[in-house]
Amino acid sequence: MKSFAPWAVAAVAFALLPLWLQSPYALHIFISLFIAVALGESWNVLGGFAGQYSVGHSAWYGLGAYGAFILLQRNGIPPWFGVWVAVLGSVIIALIVGSITFRLRGPYFVLASIAVAEIIRLAALNWKDLTNGAEGIQPADLPPLKIGSQVLVADWNGKLPYYYMGLVMALFCIAVNYAVKRSKLGYYLQAIREDQDAAHSLGIPLTLYKNAGLAISAACTALAGSFAAFYIGFIEPQQVFGIDVSVDMVLVALIGGVGTVTGPLVGGIVLVLLNEGLRAAFEQGHLLVRGVLMIIAILLMPDGVVGVLAQRFRRKAVAP
Amino acid sequence: MALLMQAILSGVLIGGVYALSGVGLTIIFGVMRVINFAQGELVMAGMYCTFFLFQIAGVDPFVSVIITMPVLFLLGALLQWTLINRVLDALPQNQILLTIGIGLVISNLAMLAFTSDYRILSTSYSSSSVGLSGIRLSTPLLYCFLITAVITAALYWFLARTDIGHAIRATAQDREAAQLMGVNVRSMSIFAFGLGSALAGAAGALVSPTYYIYPQVGGAFTLKAFVVVVLGGMGSIVGATLGGVLIGISESVSAVYLGSGIKDLCVYVIFLLVLLLKPSGLLGKSRV
Repeated sequence: MKSFAPWAVAAVAFALLPLWLQSPYALHIFISLFIAVALGESWNVLGGFAGQYSVGHSAWYGLGAYGAFILLQRNGIPPWFGVWVAVLGSVIIALIVGSITFRLRGPYFVLASIAVAEIIRLAALNWKDLTNGAEGIQPADLPPLKIGSQVLVADWNGKLPYYYMGLVMALFCIAVNYAVKRSKLGYYLQAIREDQDAAHSLGIPLTLYKNAGLAISAACTALAGSFAAFYIGFIEPQQVFGIDVSVDMVLVALIGGVGTVTGPLVGGIVLVLLNEGLRAAFEQGHLLVRGVLMIIAILLMPDGVVGVLAQRFRRKAVAP
Repeated sequence: MALLMQAILSGVLIGGVYALSGVGLTIIFGVMRVINFAQGELVMAGMYCTFFLFQIAGVDPFVSVIITMPVLFLLGALLQWTLINRVLDALPQNQILLTIGIGLVISNLAMLAFTSDYRILSTSYSSSSVGLSGIRLSTPLLYCFLITAVITAALYWFLARTDIGHAIRATAQDREAAQLMGVNVRSMSIFAFGLGSALAGAAGALVSPTYYIYPQVGGAFTLKAFVVVVLGGMGSIVGATLGGVLIGISESVSAVYLGSGIKDLCVYVIFLLVLLLKPSGLLGKSRV
């Protein structure tokens, strides 16, 4: 129970923060942080715990975004209902894809995951009747959010509603990671990561549990993807299905620490701060920095910031 | 029928280039077991190298291969010596992420240096074509194929007949055994990465008269190089050559009959099917 206390304090602090902090820019940075953390945590369920390094998670991000956008645009279904349909759709497609690609291992799985995302991107680009092709979709104004007759949010142009939704979403994704890590599923997934053949010989059905991890991971990714898309207010195939999205998700987890619950949170903070700091300094260079960070992270701290800190503390504890 | 023949022939011509960068990828994989996700970015570097040689010094793009290949060889050797070398024993996932990072750095450096404008290298023969009993083939693609054939032949000879070629193949077969036989595995790795990179550069130089040149062009080439290599069998050079030609053909045939938007889709679907049905590829050994 004790370990929940800091999380609860942080959540309350974040919830109260907009009382003092009203500048749209500051709120924007926090919303970007929430999105990055939610995405990193989502990826972590499959990539971190199960060790299945998907570099094609943009597929679920984009399907969540396109699903909710199309439902709003064509059927007038508000996103807070539509998103669940989109999440369900993404999970179903993810399970179909997973039951095929999880037969592959290591680099072959990585390649297949990229190919799947690329196939879905090309499908979205060419299926113009549904997706409006490369021109993308700019949705109509969002209807007011009501519970009963109580109007919660009437104006979607401000950042505040997105701030609170993003906060809840990020906390939800962290909670999912926490729950998975401590569940039977989590132990199975970690066993698969450590030694797939040993896990198999102990009677763990590999594809079944990898698929369970993928379903959770894809659901969270689709949720975060559709939130991010509504926050940005526009989607087109390259922007949501491009490999950059997938690489970003991996990077958040990698910098923080793959396979830990706090890792993507730390990674999200580091990346968003660096991104914003460097965007102010020079406009196009932040993408370059992303690549440099990736190289540094792999060469110097493959266990991420959290891993480095953990090692430091352990050494201190052992030292007299 | 003429249309089909035309599509197949154009496919073979462009397939030669895919084969070239695929063979580069397969050599790197064979020697180091590292999958180079920056292969397409090296192709892009080759394209820019050729473009500026043409723009500034007026060097013909097909002649510039002589300069582009050594330049990219040095770049590749440098990358292996400074970065890749450190992760040879790391998890395959980490190796992949490292090369993805390198690719990001190369493409974004190109963007900072050359902006993301599309550039076109137009020569006097860029839009001319050669007639061959009712089938028309684009001249630059024809040249491109001929030079590809020469480079591929030279590469086969190099790997089969020279000492360094033997050493590379020995390292690819069994790293430890090669080391015990006195092969300097470390420098072979550097050489192999340089060679793979030079082949990517050659591919870039050869397609530069027919492709738009821009910093993000690499991604498509990276994926295509993988498709080619997986299709032919990881580590198999003959397989990669065959895979390149097959991918070229399926791309141009599907572009003719299904529309140009669909052609890449077909390539990736073929890729997934091969991964699932015969992951060792057409000519690969089943050790993977």
